[in-house]
Amino acid sequence: MELGTIERELYIEATPEIVFEVVSDPALVSQWWPDEARYETVIGSAGEILFADADGGKVEALTVVDLQPPTRFSFRWTHPAGEEAVEGNSLLVTFELVAQGQGTLVRFRETGFRERGWTAAVLEETYQDHVHGWDHFLPRLVAYAATLDART
Amino acid sequence: MSSTVDDDLWSALGDPTRRQMLDLLLSAGSGTSTSLSERLPVSRQAVAKHLAVLLRAGLVQGRTAGRERLYRIDEEQFARALAQLNAVSTAWDSRLRRIKRLAEALQKGDQ
Repeated sequence: MELGTIERELYIEATPEIVFEVVSDPALVSQWWPDEARYETVIGSAGEILFADADGGKVEALTVVDLQPPTRFSFRWTHPAGEEAVEGNSLLVTFELVAQGQGTLVRFRETGFRERGWTAAVLEETYQDHVHGWDHFLPRLVAYAATLDART
Repeated sequence: MSSTVDDDLWSALGDPTRRQMLDLLLSAGSGTSTSLSERLPVSRQAVAKHLAVLLRAGLVQGRTAGRERLYRIDEEQFARALAQLNAVSTAWDSRLRRIKRLAEALQKGDQ
């Protein structure tokens, strides 16, 4: 991979409108990433995401940079609390959504490691363990989705 | 290791010429500033500057061989750098998989 940038592409069998909600709506974001997400879905909104753990958890700043439903959502995170999120003090995450067939092509990109410094990579690594915690959640979600299917 | 040293490590890896130099050192096993500059579109002086950055980050080690310094990769530090880079992208792979499952479950629920 290009050092300093993470890029991924994936196809999702859901409309861009649904995928956009999942990647941007704080209530849904907290179902795939932090335990709680507090921000407004408005460009410039400065909020935070919270990760619970045995040590009392961690809080990371998050600022919405771009919001164009249902094609583009972009935010900066990991900047020091109280500081404005700019290039150099934060990581920039961008989701681009392109309608394709019945579904959506998602282009994901995270940049800023080079500018932000090595500590950001270390920070991400510390979240690794937390990430695996979500394996408990997924079976419940799939079961829930199946009950919705059965009703139709 | 302090975060200052970590930042050195990251910015050392951030430069394309230095990444080429690491590639060359990995494939050749070792190299001098002369041998590296012959394979790169930069001067021997520029190579020497880049080598100084790599040395400071602990990514290469140098020893005197005849009239020149011979450089090789510090495998432990290099492996450490790669492991951390991989950890970052693995974290996002997991998140993206969850995004996919969640969106597809919601799509089915809508129908």
